[in-house]
Parts: sequence; C-alpha cells; structure tokens
Amino acid sequence: MAPARTHESGLSRFLPIAVLIGLLAAAAGVRILIEPHGGQNLLASFYDLIGNPAGAEALRNGQGDQFLAKLLLAAIALFVGVGGIWLLFTGASTLVERFPPKFRDRILPWVFIGPALLLLGIYLVYPAVATIIGSFQDQKGAFTLANWSSLATGPFLEILRNNAIWLVAATAGSVGLGLLVAALFDRIKREALAKTFVFVPYALSLVGATVIWSFVYAWQPASQPQFGLLNAIWTAFGGEPVPWSTKFPINIPAEILIMIWLQTGFAMVVLSAAIKGVSTEVIEAARLDGANERQLFFGVIVPIIRGSIITVATTIGIATLKIFDIVMSMSGGRNHDDVVAVRMFTEMFQFFNDGRAAALATVLFIAVLPVMVINLRNFRRQQAM
Amino acid sequence: MRKKPSTMAVFAAVVVLIVGACSPAATASPTAPSATTPAATGGPGTPTAPPPAAAVPKVPTGYAELDLALGSDKPYAGKSVNIQTQWVGGEGTNFAAALADFASATGISFKIDSIASSHETILRTRIEGGSPPDLAVLAQPTAVVAYGDAGKLIDLATFMDVTKLNAEHSATIGPVTKGGHIWGIPYKADVKSTVWYPIKAFAAKGYQVPTTYDELVTLADKIVADGSHPFCASAGGPGTATGWQLTDWVEEVVLKTQGLDYYNKWITHEVKFTDPGIKAAFDKVGKLLFTPNYVDGGGTAIVNTDQKTPMDPMFNQDTAAPGCWMQKIPTWYGPDFFPDQRTSGQPSKYVIGEDIGIFAFPAIDPAQKGAEGSGDTVLMMKDRPEVRAAAEFLSTPEGLQKWIEAGSAISSNNKTPAEWYAGAYKLKVAADIVANASFIGFDASDLMPASVGAGTFWTQTVDWANNNGTNTDAVLKAIDDSWPATP
Repeated sequence: MAPARTHESGLSRFLPIAVLIGLLAAAAGVRILIEPHGGQNLLASFYDLIGNPAGAEALRNGQGDQFLAKLLLAAIALFVGVGGIWLLFTGASTLVERFPPKFRDRILPWVFIGPALLLLGIYLVYPAVATIIGSFQDQKGAFTLANWSSLATGPFLEILRNNAIWLVAATAGSVGLGLLVAALFDRIKREALAKTFVFVPYALSLVGATVIWSFVYAWQPASQPQFGLLNAIWTAFGGEPVPWSTKFPINIPAEILIMIWLQTGFAMVVLSAAIKGVSTEVIEAARLDGANERQLFFGVIVPIIRGSIITVATTIGIATLKIFDIVMSMSGGRNHDDVVAVRMFTEMFQFFNDGRAAALATVLFIAVLPVMVINLRNFRRQQAM
Repeated sequence: MRKKPSTMAVFAAVVVLIVGACSPAATASPTAPSATTPAATGGPGTPTAPPPAAAVPKVPTGYAELDLALGSDKPYAGKSVNIQTQWVGGEGTNFAAALADFASATGISFKIDSIASSHETILRTRIEGGSPPDLAVLAQPTAVVAYGDAGKLIDLATFMDVTKLNAEHSATIGPVTKGGHIWGIPYKADVKSTVWYPIKAFAAKGYQVPTTYDELVTLADKIVADGSHPFCASAGGPGTATGWQLTDWVEEVVLKTQGLDYYNKWITHEVKFTDPGIKAAFDKVGKLLFTPNYVDGGGTAIVNTDQKTPMDPMFNQDTAAPGCWMQKIPTWYGPDFFPDQRTSGQPSKYVIGEDIGIFAFPAIDPAQKGAEGSGDTVLMMKDRPEVRAAAEFLSTPEGLQKWIEAGSAISSNNKTPAEWYAGAYKLKVAADIVANASFIGFDASDLMPASVGAGTFWTQTVDWANNNGTNTDAVLKAIDDSWPATP
C-alpha cells in the first residue's frame, strides 16, 4: 500500500504541470477556432515556415489548399473539444482530491455536474427566460401585451387549429399504425425483413422525406404529363390533377401523412419489443379462459403494454407539436397550413416581429409542458413497478 | 433461418444511413452561409493577381476614402472585405467581375458570400448574431431602415460626400435615409415594367406587341383562340420569398391606373387595400392571370410554379410553338433562367433581342405614364478603412461598369455614361421605358412594413391565386388587418 502511494504522489506532482500545458494548448486551439479563417491562416503560417510562400499567399487569398485547411481546423476542433473536456474533469478532480476527505465528498459531485449545469443555464434557462420576457416587449423594448393579444386574431387561431390537427392526427396515426404493424408482424415468418421496410423512413431527415414526398404530390396542368406519382395514378383513373401540397384543406393531411410515414417505424419498433415482452403464460391463460384474438389483443396485450404506448405517443406528440421542417419545406406555411414553429420563424426572420415570435415560442413551450408531464409521470410509474 | 433476415436488416440500415447522411447535406448546403468559401476575386478561372499593367484599372478618383485606398503605397493591400449578396450564377459572375478592377487597383480582396436561397434570413442571423459581413446587398429598403434603427449599421453619411451622393442618384432609387442618417446606398437598379416574349413566334403568327391594356387582352384572346396560353406566370420562390411576382403585377397596375401620389399613399397605408382603386387593380390583374386558359392551369399553376421555370413552355420547339407567350418579370431576368442554360450550365443558345424580346408593360390610363423600378441597396456593418473604400466604390458608376458592359445591369447612379449601355438590347428597352415614363414608382412591397410587404401581401396574393381570384375582398381585408399598429 505505502509504496504505491508514493508512486502515485510522484506522478501527481507532474500532473498540474501537464494540466497547465494542456490548458495552454487548448487556449491556443480556441484562439484559432474563433478567428475567422483561422485554419487557413495557421496553415499559411506553417507554409511560410517550411518555405512555401506561394502556397501561403494563395491560402490567405481564399484559394490554394482550402480542403487541407478545413481538415486542420476540424482536427483542432476535435482536439480542443475532446481534450478540453477531459482536461477540465481531470484537472478539477485532481484539485479536489487534494482537499480533506470531508470536503472532497461534498465538492466532487459538483465538479462533475457543474459544467453541465452551467451549460444548461447558458443555453436553456437563460434563453427561455429571455424569450418569455421578450414576448412582453415591443420593437423598442417597452412593455406591451400586443404580442399576446394578436395571437387571438384569425390568422393565429388558424395556426393553433392546425397544430391541434397535427397533434391528434399525426400522433394517433403513427401510434395506431405502429401498433397494428407490430401486432401483425409478430405473426409472420420474415418479421425482421418486414420491420426493416417500415423502419427505413424513420432514418430519413424530415426535410429529405418532404423532398421525396413533394415529388409524389407534384402537380402539372391537366394539359401536361403528370410526373407526380399520386397525380399520375389519379389522372390514369380519369381524375383532374389535384394540387395535393398547395391546396387547402387537402394539403394538411398530405403533410401529416409524411410525418406518419416517418414515425410509424419508431412506434413499431418500441411497441413490437413491448408485445414480445408480454409473457406467454399470460397469453396462454387468456386463451384457456376462452378469449378470442381480438379480446386477447385489446383486453390483455394492450393494457399490459400501456406504458410503452404512452411513452411512444408522448414522444411523437412532442415531435409533432414542434413540427417545422415538413411544413417549412413543403410550403412555408403559405396555404393555410401554417404551424406555430414555422410562424415563429417567419415572424422573427422575415417580418422582424421579435416580440410576436417570442410569444409564439412561449406558446409552444407551454403546449409541450403537459405532454412532458404525462411522459415523466409514466416514466416514474414504470420505475416504481 | 434467423440469420438471413438480420443481415438484410443490417444492409438496409447501412443504405438508409448513407441516404440519410446525404439528404440533409444536399438540401441544407444551398442555404448555408459559406463564410469560409472563397469567392473569386475575378471571374471564375481568372488568376487573383492582376494582369501586369496591360489595362489601366477603371476606378474613379475624387472620393475621400477611395482616394486613400488608391494611394501610391496601396495602404490597404492584402486586406479583405466580406460581402453577402443574393447573386448566384451569371449574376454572381458579373458582380465579381465588377469588383475586379477595384481589387487590383487597391490590393483589397473580396470574399463574396453568394446566397441562392433565404439570403435575407441568413443575413439577419449573421447581423443579430454579432458576426455580420462587412457589406451586404438588400432589395428591401424597409429592412435596411429597420437595421439602421436597431443600431446595426454604419451611417454612410459619416464618411461619404452626401451632396455628391444626392446629386448622383434620383430620389426614387436613391440613398436609403432616415433622420439624417444614410443607412444604404443604391447600387443596381432594375426596371420591373418589362414583359418577355418570343420574337420569332410573334412575327410568324402576325401578333403585334400590345401598347394598351385593351390590346393586351385582345392579343391574349387571340392566342387562346389559336390554341395556346398567353401568359407565363409563377409565384414561387426563391426559398421563402413566394408571392412577390403577384405583388409586382398589382403594383404595376396601381401605378398605371392611379398614378404616383396614390401609389405612395398606398405604401404608407393612407390608402387602404380595400380602397376601390386597389380593388380595381386586383381585378385587372385577375382578369389577365385567372381568365380560363390565359395561364395554363390557372391560379393553381401560378402557385405551383417556381420562378425559375414559368417561361419553359415558351421555348417549345425552339420557341417556334410557345406554350405560353408573355411573362412579366424584371430586367434582372435573363439566360440564367432559360431552360437550356439552367439545365446544362452552358451559355444559352437563345439571344435576348433575337429569340426572346422584351416589351414595356402596356399603358392602361393614358394620363398615368408610370413605370415600376426597384433597386439593390448596399449596407455597411463594419467600419474599417478598406470597407469604407469598397462602399464608396460601389456607389460610383464604375462600381457596376463591368456588369453593365456585360449587357445585364442598370446603374442607379445618373452619372453613368450612356455609351456603356450601347448595344445591349435589354438595357436599351429598359432605358426607353424609363425615358417614356413620366414617373417611376419604387417596388411598393419592398417599402411596406416587412410583415406586409414580405408577409401578408405575398401570402394573401398566393391565396388569391389558389382561389383563382374569387376571394379578392377577403384577401384585401386580410392584408389591411395585418398592417402593424406601430410601424
């Protein structure tokens, strides 16, 4: 025991110096990162050093080995990011280790939680508070209720209505379809393969999916050939081409369908796992008691996996309330299909109405809260079980 | 038994990951600010170093900051100026060319961020985020004033010769001022009262260029009777800027029926949208756009067509059998949007003035000889000597010279020598329109508060088109209702 300890203290004598050097290196890295064109300049200086002034000059003029400069910058970012965090924790815990044990045990948890709390404060709590304050300010920063009262006017009620439709339809659609698919696939031979196909869309980005679907919904005048899949089918059966993505009210279900297409896979995976978790004894007991398949499913399996259903529904519900990408890339919310998140963006960046944008952000925040509470309660209940 | 499906699943997952990794990048990159992307200081392919003493760079003298930069020791050589613009493609190349002489004469280099889509949004993010470009170009004077009021801009009156600025620019497309501050200087002007048409097909069919609204309607009816569609129209894009083409139509007709005073009162909302004069203008536009067969597919087609493609049917069979005949679009339009150049990237084989012509939007009320114009304003966010010099350069005719000589731009500086425009068909048409007009109205939507001019005026006219003009009263009322209480 004793020799090991001396060895350790010998090493820890060097540690502060190592930490100091590390901190200096990290600071130098940060300096390069915050400097505009830092990567180019650093590489240019290096070129000057090894006697390649032409290469250095080209870099400084925004030409030459730009790709190498970017790689260099990425390497520095990686070093500063990963190394900096490691240094922070090692340095801080080394420092605390030197305190008497009584203080050490009290301080040590804060060393590890502290940075996270600080970042949470800077990036979450502060903006949230600033947003709520901002929603009560006019353009010049004076107190006003106009931002909030304007939300009670026609166009904004329409937006809130759309969000409500989204919440109900997209969540119910994804969870219902996911449950159905999970239950049916449980009984087929190539289950994994079938599930893969349903799960594939979940891996797509919302914008990517919207681009794909905008080709499905594409519209051409009746005199032109239809390259949109849906209109090609529709007109083949004698219909007039329908502008699925731009004509209210058909555009809202058209957009919600994209969300369902994306989220069903997620619902299916979670619910399928839950269904497989229902013990065979319970199912057999139900069968012996004479339950038919429908009773078995709705009377036994669904109540048992209720927790998973709530978790999936709340997760998809929150994603749906915050829906932005699909509406933004489909129409920008222009055809009576606007939603809160999109309007928040347009008020802020196009109309310069920061106050109203802040009010909309607060509405979204408040709307998500109850869903989060349901989710947390359910989580606690599951833990208690 | 179990092994096969799971390997398939892994394979599928990998494919999906790759697709997933590609798709956001592909959709995000056009809008991302490319701060680190080097912009050509000359045209593409031209070396950065100026050609040695062959051509004397054309940079004017007699401007304080510019003269400093041109000093014999080139005091700002090696410095760099970052400027964000919405010009890409041919326009981007022309802008870079316009800066080349200044760059070689002063040694100042330019980093141009060309944003194809959502330029205004990205600029706002950069300005609000505290890392704005040194200079930027905006088409909306309202936005410029808003930034100025918020203290985000450098007052150009602090170092520029205000008397000279005012003398060299007209009041309509001139410096953007408020309370003695100059927040923006005009750079490039555009004429919006232009209609593009296929010259040879017009001649082959014996169609005459219309000079009055009634002639326009008669011609449209004749084209419909001949089995085609008279108008090419779109309301789409770029990006979130959907609907501006429709507001241009309305503005044109308001100017040509009600005159400039009324038009300017409309901008400040002294004249409401529900005013009979505005409604009459909407009806006149609606007649041209929503009469069955005037636009192939009607209002739905207008909403579903992007600004890049409405004229494509005009090029049917090498413009011999156009599917649509006339598009009202400003003078900045050009070969970048012609289908052959757009899809191949090679210079278009269609020549403006030979294949595709431009005529002035016909008069409606002979007493109101107006035309509509717009301008691109330069604003300055960082105060450094080299930025001052660059801003001053952009205010001079020479700041646009190369672009003018490429036959594609009009300077807002009235000291611009007329011979620079010589030989360019498009610019001659534009000059004739301006010369024949007794007044010029600046794009009204660009002067209205942003929540109307870039907001409800756009969205409501899109809604109007979606309903083929049947809901005019509701649309007008909705725009009036959205007018902000405090501007």
